[in-house]
Amino acid sequence: MTDPRLAAHTLRLAYGATPVIEGLDLAIEPGRFTALVGPNGCGKSTLLRALAGLHAPAAGQVVLDGASIARRSTRALAREIGLLAQSASPAEGMTVEELVAQGRYPHRSVLGPWRDRDQQAVEEALALTSLISLRHALVDRLSGGQRQRAWIAMVLAQQSTILLLDEPTTYLDLAHQVEVLGLMERLVKEHGATVVAVLHDLSQAARHADTMVALKAGRIIASGRPSEVVTPEVLRTAFNVEATVLTDPDTGTPLCLPRRTVPE
Amino acid sequence: MKLALLCALVALAFIAALALGDQPVPPGEVLGALFGSENVPAPSRIIVTELRLPRAVTALLVGAALAVAGTIAQAVMRNPLADPGIVGINAGAALAAMVVIVQVGSLPETALPWLTFTGALAMAALIYAFAWRQGTTGTRIILVGIGLSALAGAGASAISVFGEPAYVQRAMVWLAGSLQDSRWEKLPHLLGWSLPPALFAWAAARELDLIAMGDDVAQGRGQPVNLARALAILACAMLSGAAVAAAGLVAFVGLAAPHIARALTGPRHARLIPAAALVGAALLLTADIVARRTAPPLQLPVGLVTALLGAPFFAFLLWKRRND
Repeated sequence: MTDPRLAAHTLRLAYGATPVIEGLDLAIEPGRFTALVGPNGCGKSTLLRALAGLHAPAAGQVVLDGASIARRSTRALAREIGLLAQSASPAEGMTVEELVAQGRYPHRSVLGPWRDRDQQAVEEALALTSLISLRHALVDRLSGGQRQRAWIAMVLAQQSTILLLDEPTTYLDLAHQVEVLGLMERLVKEHGATVVAVLHDLSQAARHADTMVALKAGRIIASGRPSEVVTPEVLRTAFNVEATVLTDPDTGTPLCLPRRTVPE
Repeated sequence: MKLALLCALVALAFIAALALGDQPVPPGEVLGALFGSENVPAPSRIIVTELRLPRAVTALLVGAALAVAGTIAQAVMRNPLADPGIVGINAGAALAAMVVIVQVGSLPETALPWLTFTGALAMAALIYAFAWRQGTTGTRIILVGIGLSALAGAGASAISVFGEPAYVQRAMVWLAGSLQDSRWEKLPHLLGWSLPPALFAWAAARELDLIAMGDDVAQGRGQPVNLARALAILACAMLSGAAVAAAGLVAFVGLAAPHIARALTGPRHARLIPAAALVGAALLLTADIVARRTAPPLQLPVGLVTALLGAPFFAFLLWKRRND
């Protein structure tokens, strides 16, 4: 593995006195698509927020390019890392283009003008998410799938090389799920981006991601290539689910067929 | 285009405020008096420039200040019902001034805005402590604000019970929201306390656009949200303090003006802030004409008129968002 740009060292995250993540070490492979999986409440979202600098660690640190992210300004950090948080509230009365333009925030000084390259970044983001025809549509009038793509476009306009996405495919129908995951894959393969996404569908994650990390109760219980993570043993430990794992005849990646829940 | 229309509306309300009264002055003479024409009869000139002009200018500025304060509050609290009037920031400003006025009778004009600003800021801090950290999108912040507002009102009443009756009398008129005591000497303070924060908020329109979308979205884009919020609250408290010092408690304008403006210009603050200021100015100018002309020669407090208009508007907003 090439040197990770983004990594967590003995990270401890908590909400007040309630610990969420305990002593976690994680290195994000650069130029790869990493999927974070795990049951609800296992700390995936909190971990993602901490990696983006939105949740201050109780102990340990998140390191970007060899230095703790706590030492960077929020603005400088946002130029390197773009986060799409879960269930972002739709902006009432805002058009798609206006929403996407928010992604340019860290590239502009406080009173700086809107420049050509800002517009160019917005155009590219709109094109990548197939939203050009909807640029003047109001975000709160869009379908769930279109709205999610608009939010993703906003993060793309930020042009950070590291993208952290919390459940980018939730609320999307199947076609848009495939589209969004395909887009992530393209960003990684063609644009050299580093993508970390929290995903729920294990087969989809296995198919599109290069690396998977399975969490349970704030700890990593498995990480590696999808075939190493999506196994009956890991599924039983992480999700308390008994599952059959097949191999995708097209891609050779694991396919997960959950059968029944098992007691802890 | 819409802003130009709003400007025309404000100009119209402004001229009406100068023309209407016990002694009506024809609009032509109003304009003549304003621009220093020699052909205007002396009584008309005195009525317009000496008696009515300071009041109209105060109404314009207070209306605009309340509207911009409401716009800022709605952005940082991310709540369509947020308004310094409803969540008690204005009440805090009024209480702080009440405490001192009832004790000492009157205050130098320079001291009053400091007092109201301090009261407004203290109230914002209290609301933050009780409600903000649990999230601001729900009704909690409004409920806490209304509770604190009622508490401040009760505090003001309690103080008035123990105060010197003559002082209390003065304070009560002011507490009901009135433009009756508009004088030229008060205007520099109103302007000095409201123009800088309003311009600051306008210059920072992009920051307000972003923080209105939520902490995670804003911080994920690189905004230092705590700093942005602190500055926004400071600006809001200054505007609220300036408005309360000049005219007492004037309800509804801070709530309604941003909504009306948003319907006209959309949610982006670069256009929303000037639009809201113009709507607020037009609203308060009109409300003051109503307050003066409903039962002449008796003058109703303008705060009463705006409250009568505001209650149904508040109910309408609640009803519109009943499913949120």
